[in-house]
Amino acid sequence: MTQSTLLLAVFKDIEPAAHGIEKLHELGVQESDINVISGIPVPGRFLGRPRALTNVSRIAMSGAILGMLFGIFLIYGTPYLYPLHVGGQPVFPIPMGWIVTFEMTMLGLMGFAFIAMFVDSGFPSYTPMEYVPEISDGKIGVLFDCPGVDQKKFVDELIKLGAESVAPAEARHL
Amino acid sequence: MTSIAKPFARPHAEEHEDPREHLMHDPLPRGQMNEMVMEAMHATSWKFWAVTTFLTLLVIYCVGYEWYVLIMQGQGVAGVTRPDYWGVFLVNTVFWIGISHAGTFISAILRVLKVESRRPFTRAAELMTTFGLIQAGFSIFMHMGRVWLSYWMLPIPNERRLWPDFHSPLMWDLLAITTYVLCSTMYLFLPLIPDLAMARDRSTGWRKIFYRALALGFRGTEGEWKNLTTAMNIFAFAIIPVMFSVHTIVSWDFAMATRPGWSSTVFGPYFVVGALHSGMAAVAIVLFILRSTMKHYKYFIRPEHFNTIGMLMLMVSMAWAYFYFNDYLVPWYGGDKWDKLVQEYTEKGPLAYLWFTMLICNIAVPWLLLWNKKWRQTPWLLAIAGLLINVGMWLERYLIIPVGVTITRNPFTWRQYYPRIEIPMTVGVFAFFLLLYMLASRLIPLIPVWEVQEGQESHTLRKIGKASVPAISELE
Repeated sequence: MTQSTLLLAVFKDIEPAAHGIEKLHELGVQESDINVISGIPVPGRFLGRPRALTNVSRIAMSGAILGMLFGIFLIYGTPYLYPLHVGGQPVFPIPMGWIVTFEMTMLGLMGFAFIAMFVDSGFPSYTPMEYVPEISDGKIGVLFDCPGVDQKKFVDELIKLGAESVAPAEARHL
Repeated sequence: MTSIAKPFARPHAEEHEDPREHLMHDPLPRGQMNEMVMEAMHATSWKFWAVTTFLTLLVIYCVGYEWYVLIMQGQGVAGVTRPDYWGVFLVNTVFWIGISHAGTFISAILRVLKVESRRPFTRAAELMTTFGLIQAGFSIFMHMGRVWLSYWMLPIPNERRLWPDFHSPLMWDLLAITTYVLCSTMYLFLPLIPDLAMARDRSTGWRKIFYRALALGFRGTEGEWKNLTTAMNIFAFAIIPVMFSVHTIVSWDFAMATRPGWSSTVFGPYFVVGALHSGMAAVAIVLFILRSTMKHYKYFIRPEHFNTIGMLMLMVSMAWAYFYFNDYLVPWYGGDKWDKLVQEYTEKGPLAYLWFTMLICNIAVPWLLLWNKKWRQTPWLLAIAGLLINVGMWLERYLIIPVGVTITRNPFTWRQYYPRIEIPMTVGVFAFFLLLYMLASRLIPLIPVWEVQEGQESHTLRKIGKASVPAISELE
């Protein structure tokens, strides 16, 4: 059984990083064994990578529905706890029900989008992780698994394509 | 006979701007931009601490002590009494909620419309939203009197069987403002995460601990960026109708009443535009102060940004004038006795000078100053225009609330309002806003560096014939 090593290649720019990723594909590294770390959002198509998936929209939509139901409950469900008759209006008037329902729906939508961003990204996470601070200075990091025996070959190929450094990725406290 | 085109008076080269005048076409390495923003946060002079100390003392006295006096002695120490129960407290509330609209407008609407010049100042505007809403909240609580009973507004089952009345616009206010505070704070935090991670990577000591905790372990992986940008897009689209709803509902606090001068169907959009008017003007002031006082900010905040803000201010001022005229004309034409009395009291009464000042500040100043590009690109001039517009917008709220309710349908209650303890408390909330902003400027990267770099990556100069023309690729 071949043991794999996690390497981190640091590139100066998007273009050499895209070439590096292409080379990794040629060398047989699976898409799922590659991860790109960058200081700005780089669309997958720039790097020849598949589009990243996210659950944020789905969770946010669920939040919107829950918020709407809560709003409906507030405006139409609870007034009978303490019925108030105002200006000849019904106990649960429909027009103003829209206002409360709208606010609660939007709160649910955005609140859940916020939570979803945390949940889907695994935030907060204070455990050691593979990272180098140069990434926040605009460098592109490519994390990938390679067979331990071929490590030198991978390093040489990526350096040839413009990688500034290729080294075993160290998990460190951020 | 052949006609020959006359040669141009000036060669084209003179008309062309240097593309590097634009931030997006004058890129610096990301590391250098990070350095500049971090240095701006760290560099403080004795002047900064002197102003901070002064503002802190002002807040302690005007908000802390005066509020204590108000709570201990009751609302009698304030100028509010029949028929003016709301007074300056509500003027401040509406004013600060208006200011808070700037952040959402700039960050959300300009993001949705992909206005590129928004990039360096979105955070400065978003902070105004959060800090403005804090002052609005303070102003409401100050006015409550028995502020410790404010939880009665919340729909919590209790043994007294009290339940909030959702028929009341004040309850809608509570829900709308709470939604807005929560959502705009989340919206401030989301794009801040990558910059907090950048600050974490470049800090030591207590700052390292602070940024490490707030950056949540962000590294910038594909998944993290995808989640972050998706959430930001949802917020950008969703917070716009919430922003509109908040000030519309604030306007309904007045318009739902049958008081003369208040019962107006145009109040919703009129208030929203008014909020944008004061908000945009406040952004101009803040950008001028940041550019003048923060190290390296002249690189990030340039005349082109003041030009964008200036154009928006002019446009919003025209919209405000349109709605004001609508709100003015219909009661004037309608001839209702009480509406007429309110209008006459406002225009010809003892406070008429406030009405004229408001019109000059809100209409004449922006229309006379902001039509000229050169003037729009002069930061100090734009800041003065912003200051005057905010004076005008504060007066507008003063004219609607305490002045407007002086004339009621019961003439025996007519009484001119004189603010008392409200004056130092107003000074206090303004000082508190400035203090929060000053402290934030030392803790939070006010320039969203990653957004600036993202913009610079997507901008190039394309050669068409003999000219270099800015071109932009779709990066987002």
